[in-house]
Amino acid sequence: MKKMLALMLALVMVFGLLTGCGSGNGSKDAETTKAAEETKAPEADTTKEAVETEAPAEDAVKLTIWTLAGDLKTFAEKYMEEHKNVTIETVVIDPGEYVDKTQTAILGGDKSIDIICGEPQMVGNMYDAGLFADLGALGGSEFEGQIVDYVWDVGTDADGVLRAISYQVTPAGFYYRTDIAEKVFGTSDAEEIGKYFATYDGIIDAAKKLKEAGYRIFASDGETNYFSGDSAWVVDGKLNVDPSRVQYFDFATELYQGDYTAYAAAWSAPWYAAMAGPVPVLTADSDVNVWDGDAFAEATEGYAQTEIFAYGLPAWGTLVMRDHYGDTKGKWGICGGPSYGFGGGTFVGVSELSEKKEEAYKFIQWMLSDETLTWWIDKSEGDVVSKISVLEANKDFKNPLYNNQSTYAMWMKLAEGIDYSKVTQYDTIIGNKWGEAIGKYKTGEMDKKAAYEFFYDEVASAYPELTIERTLLED
Amino acid sequence: MGKKVGRFFLYLFLIFLAVICVIPFAMMIVNATRSGAQIMSGFTLIPGTSAKENWDLVFDYFNLFIGMRNSLIVAIPATILTAYFSAITAYALAIYKFHGRNIIFYVIVIFMMIPGQLSLIGFYNLCFKLGMINTYWPLIIPAIASPGTVFFLRQYVLSILSPSLLEAARIDGASEVRIFHRIVLPIMAPGIATMSIGAFIGNWNSYLVPLLILTSPPEKFTLPVMIASLNSSQDIAANQGAKYMAVAISIVPIIIAFCFFSRYIISSITAGSVKE
Amino acid sequence: MAAKKKEEINLTDNMQVVNEDTEKKVRIRSKLTSYNRWGYAFVVPFVVVFCVFSIYPVLRTLYLSFTQYKGFGTPKWLGLDNYIRVLTDKIFWQSFGNTWKIWGINIVLQLGLAFLLTIIFSDIKYKVKGLSIFRAVFYLPNIIAATSVALLFQALMDKNYGSFNKIIYDASIKLNKTFSFIPRYKMVDWLGDKNTAFLIIAIVAAWMWFGNSFIMLMASVQGIPTDYFEAAAIDGANRWKVFGKITLPLIKPILLYVAITSLIGGLQMFDLPYLMVRPGNQAYSSIRTAMMYLYSFGFGNNRQMGYASAVAYILFLIIFAFSVAQFFLFNRKEDK
Repeated sequence: MKKMLALMLALVMVFGLLTGCGSGNGSKDAETTKAAEETKAPEADTTKEAVETEAPAEDAVKLTIWTLAGDLKTFAEKYMEEHKNVTIETVVIDPGEYVDKTQTAILGGDKSIDIICGEPQMVGNMYDAGLFADLGALGGSEFEGQIVDYVWDVGTDADGVLRAISYQVTPAGFYYRTDIAEKVFGTSDAEEIGKYFATYDGIIDAAKKLKEAGYRIFASDGETNYFSGDSAWVVDGKLNVDPSRVQYFDFATELYQGDYTAYAAAWSAPWYAAMAGPVPVLTADSDVNVWDGDAFAEATEGYAQTEIFAYGLPAWGTLVMRDHYGDTKGKWGICGGPSYGFGGGTFVGVSELSEKKEEAYKFIQWMLSDETLTWWIDKSEGDVVSKISVLEANKDFKNPLYNNQSTYAMWMKLAEGIDYSKVTQYDTIIGNKWGEAIGKYKTGEMDKKAAYEFFYDEVASAYPELTIERTLLED
Repeated sequence: MGKKVGRFFLYLFLIFLAVICVIPFAMMIVNATRSGAQIMSGFTLIPGTSAKENWDLVFDYFNLFIGMRNSLIVAIPATILTAYFSAITAYALAIYKFHGRNIIFYVIVIFMMIPGQLSLIGFYNLCFKLGMINTYWPLIIPAIASPGTVFFLRQYVLSILSPSLLEAARIDGASEVRIFHRIVLPIMAPGIATMSIGAFIGNWNSYLVPLLILTSPPEKFTLPVMIASLNSSQDIAANQGAKYMAVAISIVPIIIAFCFFSRYIISSITAGSVKE
Repeated sequence: MAAKKKEEINLTDNMQVVNEDTEKKVRIRSKLTSYNRWGYAFVVPFVVVFCVFSIYPVLRTLYLSFTQYKGFGTPKWLGLDNYIRVLTDKIFWQSFGNTWKIWGINIVLQLGLAFLLTIIFSDIKYKVKGLSIFRAVFYLPNIIAATSVALLFQALMDKNYGSFNKIIYDASIKLNKTFSFIPRYKMVDWLGDKNTAFLIIAIVAAWMWFGNSFIMLMASVQGIPTDYFEAAAIDGANRWKVFGKITLPLIKPILLYVAITSLIGGLQMFDLPYLMVRPGNQAYSSIRTAMMYLYSFGFGNNRQMGYASAVAYILFLIIFAFSVAQFFLFNRKEDK
C-alpha cells in the first residue's frame, strides 16, 4: 500500500516535471515558429500568431482579432509594421464554429476580444445577439457613400445602425486554364469561354469536349455551387427552393454521373493539388490506387493523368490560387458563370465588450484607407475591394498573373448582380442539407424523391418556425 | 498433442488481438514520419524522413505542449480536489450519524445514474452567468463533488475502517479533524489512489465540457480540444503526415506512462465496480 | 438535534448514581454523539459544490426545456411545446435509432470479445499464461482520449489517403498478379458511406472498450474462490461444465452491470461520431447520434437551447428505465 502511495507521488512528480518541460519547450517552439514565420511569406493558415514588436513604445496597444480566415492576419501584420506601438493577436476560428465561439465568449463576458468578423449569412444572428458595437458612433459613418451599397447594407442592422464593414466584395466566377482553353476551344478569351459557362447546358457541353481531349472540367462537382444561390432560401418565413436550385441539383448529378470531374472533394488535398498541374483520373468507383505513381503506371493502361480546367470561386479565390497554383502560375483566366453568385465576405466590426474600441476602430479605418486597399490588391494578386474610389482607380488594371486580363473589370461586372438581400441566417444549414441531398442522389444512395424528402425533413427539424411546402414531391 | 495444438491456436488468437490493439498506433507513428504524398502512395512500416516537416507544420498551427500544459493545469487540481473532498465526504457519510446523511447518500446514488447531458445546458448557462466562460474554474471546481467517487469510497471506508480505532483515537483526545487527516486518510490511501487514477484519466481525456467552456483558441485549449480542432487547419488537412504527427504527439506520452503504470491503472477500473 | 442532545445530557445526569464503569461508557457515548456534528462540517464543501454545479444545472435545464431560449435574453415560456416537438420530430427518432444501431453492434463486439477472452483465460485445461500482459495490451486503446482515437481513425479510414485502404489495395494488386481471378480492390469510402460509417464507429468503440469489459469480467472470475474449482475437479467435472455451472453464474451480475453501464454511456455517444464524420459528409445523417442532435441545438450555430433541454429530458426519461434496472442490480448484489 505504501508502495502504491509512493507511486502516486512519483506520478504527480513526473507530471509536474512534464509541465515544466512542456512550458519550457512551448516557449522555445513559439520562438522558432516566429522565426520561421518571419522568413516565410505571410500565409493564410497559421491559426494564431502573436508577433511582438521589438521595443514596444510607451503607448503600447494590444489588440485581439477573432477572424474566420487568414486574410485579416495579413492585414494585421502590415498594420503592426506601420504602427510599431501596436501588437495584434489574430485568432483564426473555423467558420463552422465561429458564431458559436464568439457568441459564447462575448456574451460570457470576455473583454479581451477587440475586433470580430462575420460572413453575410452570420452577421444577422450576431447583430441580434448584440456582439457588434455601434461602428457608426465610433466613426464608421465617415465611410458612408464611399463603400459599395450592398456591402454597406449588410453591415447595417435592422435598426439602421452600422455594425460592420467589409473591405471586399465577393462576386463569384470561374478561374480557368488559358493554355487548355487554347488547345480545346481554340481561344482563351474570357468572353468566349464565358459563353460556355453562361448556362448549365453550355458547361456540360464544354465538359464533354474537355473529356474527349483528356481533361476534366472540374476537380469537384461542387464548383457551380456559388451560382445556385441567386434566390433566397427563406422568403417570408417560408422555405423557398427556387427552380435554379433544382437545376443545380440535376446538373451536379450529371457532372458526377457523366464522369466529368476528378471526384475530388472541394477544399481537399487532391482538389488543391489539381490547381498546380496534372492529377490522376479518379472515377466514381475507381479500382486503381491513383496516388501511387508506380503502382498506378503499372496497373493502369488506358487510364491517364488529367488536368483540371476550371474552378468556381469568388474573387478572393485569388488568394487560394496564389498559395496553390504552383507551376500553372500565370496560366489562368477569369470569366462569369451561369448566374450571378457570390461567396463569403469578411465583415469586420468591433466587439461590444472591447475595452479598446477606439484603437480597434483605428485598425478598421486604416484597413479601409485607399493606401491599404491598394496594397491589398497587390498582395492578394487581385482580390476585389469594396471601396468605390479604389475600385475606380483599378478598373483598368491588367493583372499580369492572369494573362494581363483586366480581372478587375471582370469582377466589377460580375459584382453588379450581387444581391445580399437574398442572404439569410438559414443559409449555412439549409445549404449543407441540400448538398447532402444531392450527394445521396448522385451516388445512388437514394432516389430523387427520397433525397428531396430527406432534405425537407432535415430542414423541418432544424427550423420548426419555417413553413415548408413539399412542392418538389408533388410531380 | 491436441492440447498443444489447441494452446497454440489460443495464443495465436490472443496475439492477433493484441496486434489489432497496437497496430493503429504503430501505423500512426510510421505515418507521422512520412510526407503527405508518401502516405497517399501507399502504406509501409518503414518510417519516412519527413518527421521534422510534419512537426513544424503542426507547431506552426498550434503548440501542442501548451495544450498538454493546459490539460495538466486542469487535471491535476481537479484530481486532487476529487480525491480529498470525496474522501472527507465519504468518511463523514460512513462514520458520523447526522441528519440528512441518508438524503445526501440517496441523492448521490440518483446522480450517479443521471446522464451528464441532463445538466449540460444548465451547467453551461450557469458558467455563463457566473462569468466563468473561458476560465478553468468550471473544469476544476465541480471536481469537489464527484458522486461516483464518494459512493465508492464510502463503501471502502465501511469495509476497511474499524470503529474501535476511531474510539481509541478519541479517547486519546485527538480532534476529529486530526483523526481524519492523520489516521483515516492514510488508511484510505489505497482506495483514494485507485479512484484518483481513474479521475485523472477522465479529466485528461475530457472533451465535451472543455469544448463548450474554453472559447479562445488555442492558448487556453486543453489537449483534446486542441487535437479536435486540427481539421480546421487547411495546411494540416492537406497533409496527412502532419495530422498523424499531431495525433501521435497527443498519444505517445500516454502510452509511455501506461507502460509504467498499467498495473495500477488496471486495478483502478475493477475497483470502481466489482469490489463494492 | 439540539433536543436530542439535551436528552442525552439529562440521561447522563440521571445516571450519576450508577456505578463508575457504566458512567464512563455513557460519557463516551455522549461525547461520540457530539462528534457526529463534525459530519456536517465535513460534507459542507461537497454539498455546496454539488448543489451549485450538479443540482442547479439539472433544474435549470428542466426550466429551460419549457421555454424558447436562444442563449441570450430572457427565456420565453412555451409550456410543453418543446416536448411535443421532440416526440414528433423525425430526425430526433432517426438519431435515436442511429444511437441504438451503433451501440448494438458495439456491445455485441465488445462484450462478445470480452466474454470470449474471459473463457480463454479462465479455462482450466489450457491454463493460458500472460494474463497481465495481454490485459494491459487489450486495455491500451481505452486509455487514449476519444478525440485522438477519432482523428487517428478518420485518417486511417480515409478513402484516398487512408492506410487501411492502401494496405488492402496493395495486397489485392499482388494477389491479382498471381491469381487473375481475384479482383482488384475498389477503394471504399468507409466513413463517407452510410452503409459502412456506423459500422466503423461501432467497431472503433468496441476496440476502445473490450479491454475494459474484459478486465471487469476477469476480475470477477478471479474473485471466485479456488476451492470451487478444486471441488469441481475432484467431482470430475469437465471444463465446459465448470464454466457453465460455476464461472458463468458467478460472473453474470457483472456481465449485466457492464452491459447496462455501457448502454447508459453508449446512449450518450458523442466524441467518436462527432469527430469522425463531419456535417456535409454524405453519411452524416446515418451516424448522427442523439447526443449530436442535442449538441446541434444546444451549442451549434442554430441555437435553440430550450429545445435542446427538452431533448435532454426525453433522452433521460428513456435512459431512466435502464438506470432503474441498474439500481436493482446494485441492490441484488448487496443482498448477497
